[in-house]
Amino acid sequence: MTYNFDWSVLWRGQSGLWLLQGLVTTIEISVVAWVVAFTLGIFSGAVRTVSITPLRWLASFYVEFFRNVPLLVWMFFWYFAVPPLLPQPLQDWLFDHGAEFWAGVVALGVYHGARFSEVMRSGIQSIPKTLFEAAVSTGLTMAQAYRLIIIPIALRLIIPPATNESLNLIKNSSVALTIGVAELTFQTRQIETYTAKAFEALTAGTLIYLVLCLAIATTMSQLEKRFAIPGMITKRQTGEF
Amino acid sequence: MDFAVVINNVGFLIFQGFLGLGNFTGGTLRLAVPAIIFGFILGIFIGMGRLARSRWIYLPATLYVEFFRGVPLVMVIFWFWFIIPVVVGKSLPEYSVALAAFVIFEAAYFGEIVRAGIQSVPRGQAEAATATGLTRAQTMRHVILPQALRNMIPSLVTQCIVLLKDTSLASIIGYVDLTKAAQIVNNREIRPFELYLFIAVIYWLCSYGMSRYARHIERRLAVNPA
Amino acid sequence: MKRLLLLLATFISVAGSITVARAETTLEKISQTGIFTIGTRTGSPPFAYVNKNNEWVGFSIDLVETSILPLISKKLNKQIKLEKKESAPNTRIPLLTSNAVDLIAETMTDTQSRREQVDFSLTFFATGAQFLVKRGTPIKGIQTIAGKRIAAQQGSTNAKIIRERVPTAKLLEFPDQPAAFQALAQGQVQAYTNDGIQLAGLKAKAPKPDEWAIVGEFFSYEPYGMAMRKNDSDFRQVVNVGLMEAIESGKYFELYEKWFGPKGEVPYPLAPETKRFLQMQVVPK
Repeated sequence: MTYNFDWSVLWRGQSGLWLLQGLVTTIEISVVAWVVAFTLGIFSGAVRTVSITPLRWLASFYVEFFRNVPLLVWMFFWYFAVPPLLPQPLQDWLFDHGAEFWAGVVALGVYHGARFSEVMRSGIQSIPKTLFEAAVSTGLTMAQAYRLIIIPIALRLIIPPATNESLNLIKNSSVALTIGVAELTFQTRQIETYTAKAFEALTAGTLIYLVLCLAIATTMSQLEKRFAIPGMITKRQTGEF
Repeated sequence: MDFAVVINNVGFLIFQGFLGLGNFTGGTLRLAVPAIIFGFILGIFIGMGRLARSRWIYLPATLYVEFFRGVPLVMVIFWFWFIIPVVVGKSLPEYSVALAAFVIFEAAYFGEIVRAGIQSVPRGQAEAATATGLTRAQTMRHVILPQALRNMIPSLVTQCIVLLKDTSLASIIGYVDLTKAAQIVNNREIRPFELYLFIAVIYWLCSYGMSRYARHIERRLAVNPA
Repeated sequence: MKRLLLLLATFISVAGSITVARAETTLEKISQTGIFTIGTRTGSPPFAYVNKNNEWVGFSIDLVETSILPLISKKLNKQIKLEKKESAPNTRIPLLTSNAVDLIAETMTDTQSRREQVDFSLTFFATGAQFLVKRGTPIKGIQTIAGKRIAAQQGSTNAKIIRERVPTAKLLEFPDQPAAFQALAQGQVQAYTNDGIQLAGLKAKAPKPDEWAIVGEFFSYEPYGMAMRKNDSDFRQVVNVGLMEAIESGKYFELYEKWFGPKGEVPYPLAPETKRFLQMQVVPK
C-alpha cells in the first residue's frame, strides 16, 4: 500500500493541458462574476445609505437574502432549480451554450454582490456626512452627488477590504466544480481520476491558487498605496462576512 | 410546485442533515460546533503567534495564515480527504477528516481576528501592566486578552456564521450535512426547487439569527468604549 | 514578493518531504481497527442507493454483507464491523489508494487499464453500455449520437468510450449518476450513457418510469468486479472465495432474485450464458 510519487504525470499526457484549461476557466468565471458582483455591490451598497426608505429596504433585503445562504446551495439552486422555470427556447439556448458556466457566474456574482455591498456601504459611511451636504448645497442632485463625489472617494477607501472580497470570489469559484464547471479544482480531480496521482495533482492546483492570490494581493496593495487619500484610511474591515 | 417532498423528508433533512442523528455520518451542527470551538482555540495560538517577538514563532504563524487564506477551502478539504490517510497509513472516518480540515482552515481566519483584537487594545494598557510589575505572560492573560476578547466578539460571531455556511462544502466528500441530505432526497425525487429552497431557508434562519445577535452585541459594546 | 517566495518554498519543501507510512496488508489493517470499509454508491439503484426510507441498501452491499464480511470475520477470528463510504467513478480509485476504503463494491467495470492501478475480484455481474433517453427522441444508439449532447459520469468507462469513438458528440461529465440523470430530465443533455442494468435501475426508480427509454445495442462489454489495492493476495483470496461460495451455495442467486427478479426492485432477467459464466468462475476447492 505504498504511494509511488510520479511528478511527471503533471506534464505527460493531458494533465498539463487540463491544468491550463482549468486555470483559464477559473479566470474566466471569476472575471465575469466579479463584474456582476462589483456592479451589484456598488449599486446596492450606495442605495443602502440613501434616505429613501423603500429603496434602502429593497437593497437590504437583497443583501440579507443572498449572503446568509451558503454559496454551494446557490450553485445548485441556479443550475438545477431555476432552468426548468425558464421558457423552453431560452432553456435550449442555455444548454447549448454552457449552462453550468452561466449558472456559476450568476451564483458567484449575486452572492459576492451582496458581500461587496457591505464593503461599499461601510466605505460610504466612513465618509464624513459634511462632504455630501456640501455637494448637495452646490446644486448637485443626490444622484449626481453620489456619482461624482461620494462613490469615487469610497472606491479609493475600500481597496483593502474589496481586495479581500475579490480574492474570496476567486477562491469561491472552486465551488462551481459541483455543477460541472471545468475550473482549476475540477481539473485537479480530473487528473487524479485518470492517473490516480492525487498528491501531485493537488500540489499543482494548490500552487497555482497560491501564486494567483498572492500576486493579486501584492498588486492591489501597491495600488492602494498609490491611490490612498491622505488622512482618510479606513479602519481595517473585521466585520464583514 | 409541490412541497410534499419537503414535508415527507423533513425528518431526514433536519435530524440527519442538520443535527447529525441517523444512519449516515453527517450533521451540519455536529461539524460546525466543534469546528468553531477547536478552530477558535487554535486561532488564539496562531493570532498570538503572529504578534510574537521571536522570528521562530512569528514566521511559521504568518506563513500558516497566508497559506490558508490563499487557497480555496474546497482544495483543503480534498487535501485532507486524499492525502492524510496516505500519510497516516489507515482509513479515517469522514467526520474526522472534515473536522480536521475545517479546524485547520478556519483557525487561520480566527487567528487574524484574534490578532486584530489584541492590537485594538490600547498600548497604554500593556505599558501600565508592566509598570505594576506583571510579566509579559501575566499581562497577556489578565489584561490584554480579556479586553481583546470583548473587542473581537462581533467579528467572531461573523466568522462563526461563515463557518456554518462553509460546512456545506463537507457534502463534497460525502459527509451527510443539510446540503448533502437535500441532494440525496433530490437524487431520488428530482424536486430541486422545493428542496434547495427549504434548506436555503434553514441556513438563512441560522445565519440571519446569528448576525442579528452580532449586531446586538456590537451595539451593547459600543456604549462602553474600552 | 519575498513573502510569496518564502511561502512557496516552505510549501514545496513540506510537500516534498512527506513520507508515506509503512505498508501494511488490508487484512492486517482490518484486524487492527476492527472495521471493514467499503466504497459504494448512493445513487445507483439497485446496486447501491438510498431508498425511500433513507436507508443505504443495494445488491452490491448485500453481497458484501452476506458473503464477504462473515468470511473476513471468520478469517481474522474477531467480529468485524462494516462501514460504508460514498464513492463515485471519479473518486473510487483515489479512495482505495489512499486507504480511505478497503474495497470498492459498487458498479465498477473491470478493465485492463484499470488493472494497472488496482486489482479486481471475480466478475460478479456482466452487462453492456447503452443510452437512456426521453421516450420519443430520435437517438437510437451509438450510431446516432454525433453532435448531440451526451451525459456520462466523470471517470467512467462509458465516458472514455464516447470520447474516443464519437469525438463529435458533446460529452458532459458529471460527478455521479443522479447529477447526470437530472441533466437528462431537465433537457440539458439529450442522452445519458451508462451500463444497461444501471439505466434500468434509474428508469424503474424514476418518478415517471414510462417517460424514459433505454435504447441501443450494448456498445461495450462491462463486467463488474470489486476493486481492491494491488498486491494484496490474502485479501483478494478472501473476497474471491466469498464470492465463489455465494455463487456455489445459491446465495448469490437468492440476492439476484431479491433485487432483479420479477418481484424485485428492478426486474432484469439473468441471461443463461451470464449464469453459466458466473458458475464457471467457481474453481474447485
